[in-house]
Amino acid sequence: MLVLLAGIFLLHLTSIILLLVATIDNAWWMTKTVSTDVWARWILTNGTWSSNDLPGQYPQEYLQAVQASSILACIFSSLGLFVFVGQLFTLSKGQRFTFSGIFQLLACLCIMIAASIYTDIFHKNESDGWYGHSFILAWISFAFTFISSIIYFVLRKKTAN
Amino acid sequence: MLTILALASVILLGIVPQQSEAIVIYTGWERHALVGSDIRLSCSFFSWRWTSDDVTFSWSYRADGARDSISVFHYTGGSPYVDNKGPFRDRLEFVGNPGRRDGSILLKNLDYGDNGTFTCDAKNPPDIVGRASSVRLLVFEKVPIQAGVITGAIIGAVLGLLVLVVVIYYLMRFLVARRVFNLSVSKHGKKGKGKEGSQQRQLWRPPPVTCLPLTS
Repeated sequence: MLVLLAGIFLLHLTSIILLLVATIDNAWWMTKTVSTDVWARWILTNGTWSSNDLPGQYPQEYLQAVQASSILACIFSSLGLFVFVGQLFTLSKGQRFTFSGIFQLLACLCIMIAASIYTDIFHKNESDGWYGHSFILAWISFAFTFISSIIYFVLRKKTAN
Repeated sequence: MLTILALASVILLGIVPQQSEAIVIYTGWERHALVGSDIRLSCSFFSWRWTSDDVTFSWSYRADGARDSISVFHYTGGSPYVDNKGPFRDRLEFVGNPGRRDGSILLKNLDYGDNGTFTCDAKNPPDIVGRASSVRLLVFEKVPIQAGVITGAIIGAVLGLLVLVVVIYYLMRFLVARRVFNLSVSKHGKKGKGKEGSQQRQLWRPPPVTCLPLTS
């Protein structure tokens, strides 16, 4: 039982870390000399990386929507972790961790919105380049938060406080 | 003493109307607009006199960097006269209401060359002493969305909604629990069974599911 709890806690923590990396690191799209999105663009010139503003042609509304939903995913997931720890102590025997599950589900929804908007709007016509690790981690954390929320909705508290 | 007072009041009454007869004209200070858009430049005035039938409005324009100003609009004798030769021909329209002391004009299809200062001068005979008021027009290519405005708005809205939902949920639980408690107290209080009242209070904890065998 304790092992199960520890495993679930680690899964949740991992999803938070993945979400944070996906949100903070500017590596949603990369080429040989550019690592970009969603906050700034890193350009490699003469062996050094320098930080530049994102190009003005980026559709501002979509960019800011991606920023906002990835931040919201991080917030919801972190809140969910605190709620989970709190519910560990306050739930009676046999009850489900619904609130933690709800927060993880919201985080899953938000990061799905962010990654979907990004996939559909940005870099659709550029062929020289590939999706960077932040993008991949965003989709992986979508899967992790989804699994995590399912577990929370199914799990029942087995031992008394 | 009384004569001095009377003299002073006569002098004051003599001075004040002349100052109060100055007309005060209001326009904006600075207006921003996008290329290709329309903009309404408003001009209104304050006057102690009733609005006369001979009220006149006059707009003139001085381009940025130019020294002279040209007249682009004049309203007099009940009719507006718009620019038909100058830089605003076919682009200027009178949208004001002189009866309501409004002498606003509408500039259509703005261009970068329209940057400059517009001056409105209004006269309400016999109230003609006043200062013309100027408004600066600035034409932009694109009003950029400030970085982070939409981001912050989305985050704030969603979190606010979340807080609202949580508050409403706990409020409903509290209100319903209190109502049930009150009902049970009033019901059992008459019979004098206070113990059951406190038992009823726990009604809103969801009952533990005991039908399924719990395996570890």
